[in-house]
Amino acid sequence: MTRFDSLLASVGGTPLVGLPRLSPGRQPDGTDVRLWAKLEDRNPTGSIKDRPALRMIEQAEADGTLRPGCTILEPTSGNTGISLAMAAKLKGYRIVCVMPENTSEERRQLLRMWGAEIVSSPAAGGSNEAVRVAKQVAGEHPDWVMLYQYGNEANALAHQETTGPELLADLPTITHFVAGLGTTGTLMGVSRFFREARPDVKIVAAEPRYGELVYGLRNLDEGFVPELYDAALIDSRFSVGPRDAVRRVRELLELEGIFAGISTGAILHAALGQAAKAVKAGESADIAFVVCDGGWKYLSTGAYEGTVDEAEDRLDGQLWA
Amino acid sequence: MAIEVRIPTILRTYTDGAKSVEGTGGSLSELIDDLEGNHPGIKGRLVEDKDGSVDLRRFVNVYVNDEDVRFIGGLEAPLSDGDQVVVLPAVAGG
Repeated sequence: MTRFDSLLASVGGTPLVGLPRLSPGRQPDGTDVRLWAKLEDRNPTGSIKDRPALRMIEQAEADGTLRPGCTILEPTSGNTGISLAMAAKLKGYRIVCVMPENTSEERRQLLRMWGAEIVSSPAAGGSNEAVRVAKQVAGEHPDWVMLYQYGNEANALAHQETTGPELLADLPTITHFVAGLGTTGTLMGVSRFFREARPDVKIVAAEPRYGELVYGLRNLDEGFVPELYDAALIDSRFSVGPRDAVRRVRELLELEGIFAGISTGAILHAALGQAAKAVKAGESADIAFVVCDGGWKYLSTGAYEGTVDEAEDRLDGQLWA
Repeated sequence: MAIEVRIPTILRTYTDGAKSVEGTGGSLSELIDDLEGNHPGIKGRLVEDKDGSVDLRRFVNVYVNDEDVRFIGGLEAPLSDGDQVVVLPAVAGG
């Protein structure tokens, strides 16, 4: 279906495309190992976050916490805020986003374009700080509605109800699903769907590893694990640094023509790891992974030009995923 | 050849400021005991005693060759010479 009643109705239903050049492909022993990219940049604001943002808003409307005239508050490193701002604009809500100051300028501009007000949180500590500041602001404004993507079940539900079923319909032979680990919503939701529908599908998490500034200097006991996270729903979890993320995101463009954001490079790195493992084990595999967003919002980070060394240096201290 | 262990900023008070140190051990728990010998106090920041059993602290993530140890045996995850171990505090994404 390509006709919709409004932009909001067009969220999801993204294409799944094969990667004939990056996939190991048919092996001498007859097995076949293929990679498939789920192009979430095709959503209305250009990222996968349109799914959970809309689902969280609709859930809050349905249960009565979000009413006409309300102000939405959300800690976000960018994409969720942009998605919420779009939906808030169309539905008539005011929105305030708490965002770490070391996020790209494009993300800030996009948020403002869609009408969000931005409260900056300190760079050191990354999103942990944004969450802390947002909770503080929520305390000062008890009438504001914090949807709180890290603990909102509707975030995971969006993927359980849409992303998972779409993947299975397009790729009935799927063996692996690989996605980024941020709020954990994508992995939790898609995993719940597959644990029910196809429990043999391996769920693999790729977690961005940032520069030291982002991890902050505070006590280890003040770390953060999203309330949504359930380790039992994941089969393996990999940490991917900026060097591998940049290298892979460039390969994706060079070999397959897909212009993706840097976090997708980290996810592709983990997906290629699973592909290599399958080849080594002599097993066929259909590995689907998420292209979270396009590269447009990250051009100013310098990730796409110069040597990989230079790009790695430029990303140090930035929240690149 | 030993095992390279990358230490996060917050724990470098135990390593005289070193970003990375070397250790030995056939499992993560043996490696942590070895580290404790050279850098007293570090073990207590990585693991805790919970109901009589020792486990990694909740907000400490440890990766062996980039894979999260909680999915490959936790403290019993096997290690070999040449492995790289990274310790990081848990942070939010999104």
